[in-house]
Amino acid sequence: MVNQLYFWAATAVYAVVIFYLAWLGYKKTRSNADYMLAGRNVHPVILGLSYGATFISTSAIVGFGGYAAKLGMGIIWLVMLNISVGVLIAFIVFGKPTRRIGKRLGALTFPDLLGKVYKSNFMQYVTGLIIIVGMPLYSSAVLIGGGRFIEEVLDVPYLWAIIGLTAITAAYVVFGGLVAVMYTDALQGSLMIFGMSAIMIFTLSAVGGFDGFQSLTDMSHLVPAGLASTGMTGWTSFPELGSATWYTLVTTVIMGVGIGVLAQPQLAVRFMTAKDGKSLNRAIPVGAIFILITTGVAYTMGALTNVYFYNNFGKISTQMTGNIDNIVPLFIDTAMPEWLVVMFVLVLLAAAMSTMSSLFHVMGTAAGHDIWVHVRRARFFPSRMRGSDEDASKLRVNKIGTFVMIAASLGLAFIMPGDIIARATAMFMGLCAAAFLPAYTVAVFVKNPSRLGAIASLLTGSIVWAVWTVFVHKAESSVLRLSEILTGSPSVLDFPWTVVDSLFIALPLSIAALIIGTMIERRRSSAPAEA
Amino acid sequence: MFGIDDPWILLGYALCFISTAIGVIYGIMKWNEEVD
Repeated sequence: MVNQLYFWAATAVYAVVIFYLAWLGYKKTRSNADYMLAGRNVHPVILGLSYGATFISTSAIVGFGGYAAKLGMGIIWLVMLNISVGVLIAFIVFGKPTRRIGKRLGALTFPDLLGKVYKSNFMQYVTGLIIIVGMPLYSSAVLIGGGRFIEEVLDVPYLWAIIGLTAITAAYVVFGGLVAVMYTDALQGSLMIFGMSAIMIFTLSAVGGFDGFQSLTDMSHLVPAGLASTGMTGWTSFPELGSATWYTLVTTVIMGVGIGVLAQPQLAVRFMTAKDGKSLNRAIPVGAIFILITTGVAYTMGALTNVYFYNNFGKISTQMTGNIDNIVPLFIDTAMPEWLVVMFVLVLLAAAMSTMSSLFHVMGTAAGHDIWVHVRRARFFPSRMRGSDEDASKLRVNKIGTFVMIAASLGLAFIMPGDIIARATAMFMGLCAAAFLPAYTVAVFVKNPSRLGAIASLLTGSIVWAVWTVFVHKAESSVLRLSEILTGSPSVLDFPWTVVDSLFIALPLSIAALIIGTMIERRRSSAPAEA
Repeated sequence: MFGIDDPWILLGYALCFISTAIGVIYGIMKWNEEVD
């Protein structure tokens, strides 16, 4: 158990600094554009840290750290994709055109960007709708990760842990907008770099230095029979090619999350906050180093927890606790010096709050700016609900939207099952890739993109992803139970389809729909000329 | 190396460091590049 005096003293200092930064954000938020995009003038270092801190949450540290403890170091490929795809390709290939086009069109959110590029309100509404329906999965997973950790380490009841975490984050997101979010992200990101670096050193120390890797290799005979029968070979080796564990690790965890990051609205919006292309270039080293340290440490530590627990308690990590989301918190609590446990609690709080704040902000602006501001003009709403187009009115709508989506995330966190953090994160990222990636890519790289192609891609990607998740991919369909109720079986197809992630089916179909829709639109537009 | 025998795991770690190095070098080389 963490020393309560140290923890509350450190938390008090942390909270004071957070609220000071939030107050600065509040003071600098004079318009709706400030609230949505931090005035499009963010410093590169703050941008890099904010991007990284938003990207890496408790899901990455606690959820995927727990996955590494269960499935081993193969997950290190996710770190590689997080850096190469999530930072290098995202900033260099997608970031610059996103910033430039967003500024030219005056887009304030990710759905707004797609809506304006494709000159389609429908694109904006549906993208906003997918965000407010799908993103609570992820924000709740992050919240659960933070709550579980506080419960484990501070012995605070889970209910109060998630309510407290939500209330503090909500306070600065609702009032300070994106300026407050990014300022606090930068502080939280710095704390994460320092804390995770220290944890790597102490983890190696706890398992006998680099010899710990050899010890982990030598433990391969301890792989549980259930996992060994589905292809797991050890904690320092990849699962058997084509086995169920291989499919889960590669298609859901590594590829699903690794590719899904490219089309995440909360990250794409960061590009639109940069002052110029130079700022994006300068943010790249900060982002790359940040991801390497935070996720690289989390996954390596996760796998090595097996060595520590086996040497000290005679059990592997998954035998120490029934819930893989509790492995990393338990390891930190038992293996780390007291000051580092306090530090890690703050790192986890920082990771949770930085990601949650960005998700809350994106969901709130999707609900407010992208949907309600347009929908309220409909005739069937009474005139007092229609508001005005004044900046202050839109700002108020976005604050209310943010508050409503925060409440929805909190509600979902109460009802989501255990062991859900990493899976819910992967689900959300898969949905983003399937629904948004083709249309987003074409939007930033093609001069006259097809509206029909984009709409077809958006609908096909999201619907196929949902159907495959509910009726085929067993890891989710067996929890959702709709397939079992309707068809009598948790999956309507057989192996290997039951372990192939929804992304791998939905994304190719989404791309195909984009191509077909584009061809139809081109043919339609050229038909009169030919006639 | 370090007791890890599977080349895929070692390659994964190597690519993590190489990707980071590319990011750092790119950022430094393009530090003052004005063109978007």
